[in-house]
Amino acid sequence: MKRVSRSTWDALLVPRRCVCGHPLVLNDLLSSSISPSSARASISTISRSSTHNTVRSSLKPRASRPFHTSTSLGVVPKLLPTQSAKLAALHGRLNLPNKFPLTTLGRALIDPTAEPQHHLNNDSLAHLGNVLLGYYTSEFLIVQYPRLPYEILKAAMSGYVSSKALSAIGKEWGVEAAFAPGETVDPGLLQFSRLAPGTPFMTANTNGGLFNMQRKRGSMVPNFENNPTAEKILDSEAPEMQEIWQRQRQSGKTPDAVPLEHAMANFVRSAVGGVYLHAGGLPAAKEFVHAHILGRKLDIDKLFMFEQPTRELSRLCVREGFQQPIARLEKETGRYSRHAVFIVGVYSGEEKLGEGQGSSLPEAKIKAAISALKGWYLYSPITGADLPSKTDGNPTAPFTPAVIDVGDVVS
Amino acid sequence: MVVKGLQAVSKAQNGVGAFILQCKRLEFNFCDVGGSSRGMKAFLKTRLSAFAKENPQVEIVVAPRPHKHPIIRGVYINNREKVVCVRNLEVLQVLQKAELLRDASGVKLKKINKPVQSLNDSVRGIWSPYHATAEEVYKV
Repeated sequence: MKRVSRSTWDALLVPRRCVCGHPLVLNDLLSSSISPSSARASISTISRSSTHNTVRSSLKPRASRPFHTSTSLGVVPKLLPTQSAKLAALHGRLNLPNKFPLTTLGRALIDPTAEPQHHLNNDSLAHLGNVLLGYYTSEFLIVQYPRLPYEILKAAMSGYVSSKALSAIGKEWGVEAAFAPGETVDPGLLQFSRLAPGTPFMTANTNGGLFNMQRKRGSMVPNFENNPTAEKILDSEAPEMQEIWQRQRQSGKTPDAVPLEHAMANFVRSAVGGVYLHAGGLPAAKEFVHAHILGRKLDIDKLFMFEQPTRELSRLCVREGFQQPIARLEKETGRYSRHAVFIVGVYSGEEKLGEGQGSSLPEAKIKAAISALKGWYLYSPITGADLPSKTDGNPTAPFTPAVIDVGDVVS
Repeated sequence: MVVKGLQAVSKAQNGVGAFILQCKRLEFNFCDVGGSSRGMKAFLKTRLSAFAKENPQVEIVVAPRPHKHPIIRGVYINNREKVVCVRNLEVLQVLQKAELLRDASGVKLKKINKPVQSLNDSVRGIWSPYHATAEEVYKV
């Protein structure tokens, strides 16, 4: 029984007299009252143990010997995941059930770049979690906004489950990264090999989330092998960068080092995978994803970028059989002043589709068309359709299907 | 003529969905010989294990800090720290300080003037003189 957190280890190095001179009576009391395996109380103390005693004897002639790195580093033993206070605290912070073992959470914190053996790293857990994240996020978005154009749906997906978003979630869970992977690292720290600054790193797909896993595996996840966006980004880069990236993509093996964002995101994916495996299958995973990932704030209406909104609105009206949209000036003030304001409404027959305000007539007209298009695309059923995953555990559950729209306007 | 998507990242709203306690670590430091640590040592002996069991989401570290006053240090998810000196305090007062640090969010203290802080836009919208009735616009 030996548990030393990094901070206590620092404290342990400095006040040597206390560790070796004075016996820590208090901690003996503590360690007898709290055994590490019992309960989920995450306490780490400096305790007198056999390892300590041996160290004390080996370090006896300290006065003549200043600081012996190798001996003192040898003191730090390998911690088991069940002994780590950090890991237990993370387990408690995420409110994971007792069925979710600490060893799985510890495994989720080990990136393939830190431990290449598949049964010890989080590779498979992350892949499983990624599939679940993609499933629950996409069904949530499609049911809530059935008319969302595909590009916006992709942007919203990456807003929720891209590496960037997931790594932000990991940080907000209070996960800390180890400086470098190793035997003596606390199992409660994220372990991965850091990418050297300035080194290019590129996954096969750059879009994020469901579209972001770097390996082609399984069939449930759409993995765009010849992703147009990835190609576009590649084209816009300098030739030497292109060469490195091409080499990375062709080699197809897991990278030797990854950025923190990537490793952190994989931990979050693995945690979702772990919840599915240990804490009650699909319903538990769904609850976890909705609580931690879909409960966050993402303004879908700020994701749109229209190229020709007036034309698109016109095409939409043709497709839907509405009358052609007409922009009408509703209010104006100060036309010949520096601060003119125009309010333009866009009408289809008698129906007002949208309204825009601008300092010139074209600006107001474009804004009106954008507001009309957003009003169409961001339609959300009031009564609330059921998510398809409602029937996952129970095929006979009452189910209200969602609206299926014909899709975005293409011409 | 297709619409393009802009990149954005979802923002946390702690407590909507899951709640993550912001205090991630509490460090209890004491001195074996100093009299000001008396209450702290009694706290560590009698109360700490129950406190730790009640708060599994907090990592608890006990370490000596010889020849100094006892302190409790809270480390938060935003990587800030809060330190409270508990010299000469009784057991229950120490417990109170530990609870204070556990419940703190870790953000720098600042005066909040607005009654509501929200990421959401106002439901009523912003008042516009172009849409209000004439009586309302010219009302003094």
